[in-house]
Amino acid sequence: MQAFIDISKVHFSYRQSNQDPLLAVQDVSLQIASGSHVAILGRNGSGKSTLARLINALEQPSKGVVVVSGRNTAQEENVWEIRRLCGMVFQNPDNQIVGTTVEEDVAFGPENLGFPQPDIRRAVDESLAYVGLAEDAQKPPHLLSGGQKQKLAIAGILAMKPACLILDEATSMLDPVSRHDFMQLVQTLVHDQNMTVVNITHHMEEVLLADFVYVMFGGRVVTSGTPAEVFDQVSLVRREGLDVPDHTEITHTVARLLDGSLQPLEAASWDRARLAIIRLLDEANRRAAQTGWYPELPRKERPVPPDEAETVIAVNNLSYVYAPGTAMETRALDRISFDVRKGELLGIIGHSGSGKSTLIQHLNGLLRGHKGQVTVLGMDGSTNADIKKIRQRVGLLFQYPEHQLFEETVFQDIAFGPKRMGLDMAKIEPRVLKAARIVGLQDEELERSPFELSGGQKRRAAIAGVLAMEPEILILDEPAAGLDPAGRDEILDYAAQLRRMGVTVILVSHSMEDIARLADRVLVLRQGRVHAFGKTADVFSQEEELALAGLSLPRTTAFLKSLSDALPALDWHCFKPEEAALRIAAAGLNPAFCAERTV
Amino acid sequence: MLKQISLGRYYPGTSLLHRLDPRAKILLSFFYMVIIFLVQEPLPMLLLGLTTLVLMLLSQVPMRHILGSLKPILFILIFAFVINLLTIKGDELLTVGPVTISEQGLETAVRMAIRLMLLIISTTLFLTLTTTPILVADAIEHLLNPLRRIGFPAHEMAMMMSIALRFVPTLLEETEKIMKAQSSRGADYDTGGLIAKARGLVSVLIPLFVSAFKRAEELAIAMEARCYRGGEGRTRLKVMRYTPMDIVFSCLLAAGCSAILLVQYL
Repeated sequence: MQAFIDISKVHFSYRQSNQDPLLAVQDVSLQIASGSHVAILGRNGSGKSTLARLINALEQPSKGVVVVSGRNTAQEENVWEIRRLCGMVFQNPDNQIVGTTVEEDVAFGPENLGFPQPDIRRAVDESLAYVGLAEDAQKPPHLLSGGQKQKLAIAGILAMKPACLILDEATSMLDPVSRHDFMQLVQTLVHDQNMTVVNITHHMEEVLLADFVYVMFGGRVVTSGTPAEVFDQVSLVRREGLDVPDHTEITHTVARLLDGSLQPLEAASWDRARLAIIRLLDEANRRAAQTGWYPELPRKERPVPPDEAETVIAVNNLSYVYAPGTAMETRALDRISFDVRKGELLGIIGHSGSGKSTLIQHLNGLLRGHKGQVTVLGMDGSTNADIKKIRQRVGLLFQYPEHQLFEETVFQDIAFGPKRMGLDMAKIEPRVLKAARIVGLQDEELERSPFELSGGQKRRAAIAGVLAMEPEILILDEPAAGLDPAGRDEILDYAAQLRRMGVTVILVSHSMEDIARLADRVLVLRQGRVHAFGKTADVFSQEEELALAGLSLPRTTAFLKSLSDALPALDWHCFKPEEAALRIAAAGLNPAFCAERTV
Repeated sequence: MLKQISLGRYYPGTSLLHRLDPRAKILLSFFYMVIIFLVQEPLPMLLLGLTTLVLMLLSQVPMRHILGSLKPILFILIFAFVINLLTIKGDELLTVGPVTISEQGLETAVRMAIRLMLLIISTTLFLTLTTTPILVADAIEHLLNPLRRIGFPAHEMAMMMSIALRFVPTLLEETEKIMKAQSSRGADYDTGGLIAKARGLVSVLIPLFVSAFKRAEELAIAMEARCYRGGEGRTRLKVMRYTPMDIVFSCLLAAGCSAILLVQYL
């Protein structure tokens, strides 16, 4: 049977001015069967997006052949039919909507193809109904949420009667709930309409939904297989800067700690991983009983959260209403009370629309509450008097901060904040250099234009811009949004590093994993109210409470909990895979356990 | 929030004026403009005023909302009125100190003020209050279509207009975000002298332009991926068709206006 998409020995390079051409794709060959769901996994810059454009005939290979549904993409006369057959959803929801109303946007493709008017009407109505946006047909698209915008993009493609859907990091700007919804819609398309799906992504959870995965690195396919086969190569996947499922990673770490070995695919599924762990423990205990030798477990200390530290931010009964007195009136914050202690890392978690962004803007005076008090470092945040001082001492880093760079050089951009504070140059320079060092920017990069930097470097420069003000309190709003796993880990490491340096950090995120790993205490927001507030371990052990807010246990915690029947001594309030593996080993390594199991 | 700013002052509704074909509305407002300038005498002018009032009632847009469209030109209106009043020489009507007001001056000033008001009210009524900007863009494309034969890019112009309309709210939202971010870094847009303010604007405008260019680039690729290749062979979801209502209404209005002119010249 001929594959729907057949890529053979394809090379592609971008022409760059004044530089050698950049080889983005090298010698890639792959076949995608009709009706299959294939994921292409890789870091930013691995060439995976270029591959998408090659399939869609937006680019032509410099060597090799791409054939889609029997048509060579290099032939001019095939281009439009290929683009109709393979619809593409891009990363940024805003930058792919053409129409001024939802319905007009969906009609854009069929209009371009010259469908007769009654057919366009039918296609638009059917597609909107399919993705669940029928009621929003007349809305202007900017009033939709990010997730709805991406569904709109799918509707626009469906209206063109395609055979294949290419998702080019389509979920990377969505929150977890919208991402889940979006992927469910994609799954339905695969099952109901026999749609071929090519999902280009760096999200491990999405890859698990695919039938087959290609992992790309440096323009090449480095490995491929079913998701289980690929993730079983834990060290390879990790080395490429990607995530593996927590249960797989934990199981592999346990095997390493206990000096045991795993069969291929033994840690692939959740259930098999549990059995594998029990087996590994059994074997280690038996070995220990015979030889008297126990594997030595490394000790790891978690920094103790400052319990009795002074309060730096106190929020009392804060309420805020957007656009009061109009039809758009929304209660964004409703009687919020909490405190932030000096030197702690406070996580704020909640869905889009739960009030997170509105809340943090109160903490440095960008917004003033309609009711309630905000006291920041002893100053009143609700009056004008201290606003300047508050903003100097409380740094706020917005989402996608790289969009705010503007100076001629990176150095000047980082120096902007300190300059506005009225410092003289002699004091500014060391601050800039120090901030640049924390985020790992090289000296020669400081003299370049911020717009020449890569995406990840831009983000670092923007973070340095806030750090150079040397705030006592630093608020980070989704600092890792849109980054691949390695980029995310790096940014979150800064947050942990700053906390160790004594900075009070407030981290806003929708990722349970990130918050759980880093935060001393957690504030859970739900519909503008405080849903839960307390120590991380306490908040994340209340599974039912979390479920009410539409949140689930962090994946590592959930997996540990599922092991606690077999391992009564296991404390499952743990969020990092490594630490989890240690706890499993510690809880399972004893002769009694072995005896119990063998009886 | 900037997000809630609506573009133009479109007032949603289903009145007769709302339902007219946008092309007819554009043509009618041109026609009306000509009539406004042809009318000279007080009686026809009064009749034209009454016709405009009927149009206002037909639109079912609240009076306050319609008259609000005069606010931006209020200054020009008063300024032009006073200048005309004071500078036109003729039969003396009233003298206060050095200022002399002539009969002709008063007449011209009043006539001009009325004309300006009728002009603004009729065009906003036809085009901005009862027609969405996107329909206006579409209608302009249709009306200019014949010019394509001589190489006029009618489709491209309309596409540019509609994309601009689409991105206004997005860019407003972005402006707000950038301003907030720079404020957090100590930028101050409210206080300080002119130079300080201009400098503050740079920190907003540069990121805004950079992002607008990036958006443009990505949008172009997205449009290509959706098979966009110019206006050739393109069909439309919304086909504009003149209905009998358009014809009847246009004829009635034309007849009424002609009658008014007739009154003047007979």
